Amino acid sequence: MPLKKVGELSVPSTLDHLADVDQFTEGLFRNLALPREILDDVAISISEAVNNAMVHGNKLDPARKVLIRFYVCSRYLRLVVRDQGTGFQPETVPDPRQEQNLLKTSGRGLLIMRHLMDRVTFQPRRGGMQIVMDKYCPQDCYGGTERNCA
Amino acid sequence: MRVETREQDSVLILKIHGKMMGGPEATTFQETIKQHVAEGYRKFIFDLGEVDWMNSSGLGSLIGGLTTIKNAGGELKLAAVTEKIHSLFLITKLVTIFESYDTVDEALNSFPAGK
Ligand SMILES: Nc1ncnc2c1ncn2[C@@H]1O[C@H](COP(=O)(O)OP(=O)(O)OP(=O)(O)O)[C@@H](O)[C@H]1O
Ligand SMILES: [Mg+2]
Repeated sequence: MPLKKVGELSVPSTLDHLADVDQFTEGLFRNLALPREILDDVAISISEAVNNAMVHGNKLDPARKVLIRFYVCSRYLRLVVRDQGTGFQPETVPDPRQEQNLLKTSGRGLLIMRHLMDRVTFQPRRGGMQIVMDKYCPQDCYGGTERNCA
Repeated sequence: MRVETREQDSVLILKIHGKMMGGPEATTFQETIKQHVAEGYRKFIFDLGEVDWMNSSGLGSLIGGLTTIKNAGGELKLAAVTEKIHSLFLITKLVTIFESYDTVDEALNSFPAGK
């Protein structure tokens, strides 16, 4: 099965919408034959990317939207999160694992996304930052035996 | 996220249910801890056995709670940390920051008696 868009959601940049995004994600992927573990990794990573898009990208301006697009092929799931901010340079973000950062209450989102997903790429776009996250399915994402993603 | 609170032997046990994903609930959680500290509680257990998952905001809530409690001279122990949460503690190096016990009873017993 080639990479196919299976869903799209646009939400205003206020944190009370985080729960809506999570419900949408659950509903969308529940039908696929995925282990709970994979679903949780995806849900956590989306929550990180959307939180960042709302807070850092869109500065919690309700007029600015976060766009989340969901793709599936037989080998992996792809999540694309886009904001309307000015972007950032991931290499310049401080390492939360350093001693002096350990007791800070924030700064771990990117680390967690990179740990839980198999590939995370940051793509500056005109009019906003875009994050693409891929997660491989242990078997065919649709529960079959096909492994094609062309 | 939902929090059930009970007291046993002057220890306040907060059992957290659901997803610790941040947003309005995380703010409420911090305020709740501050309120309990203001009421005079100094010994806390966060029971994480019913947490479905947590993200960086959830970790932030735990650290925020720990800081509030410690600054008041209190103690926080975690109980029933799931495998998934433990793996987040490992990758973020938070594993050394928290005192964890397998069960609430073990966490209770770790507090010195009669204080
Ligand atoms: N979409 C974005 N637009 C602009 N800056 C961003 C974006 N995403 C992340 N950043 C920058 O990268 C930093 C690190 O992000 P990360 O998610 O790791 O931590 P955080 O959001 O600060 O805290 P936490 O996620 O632990 O609550 C942010 O503080 C911000 O400066
Ligand atoms: Mg973040």
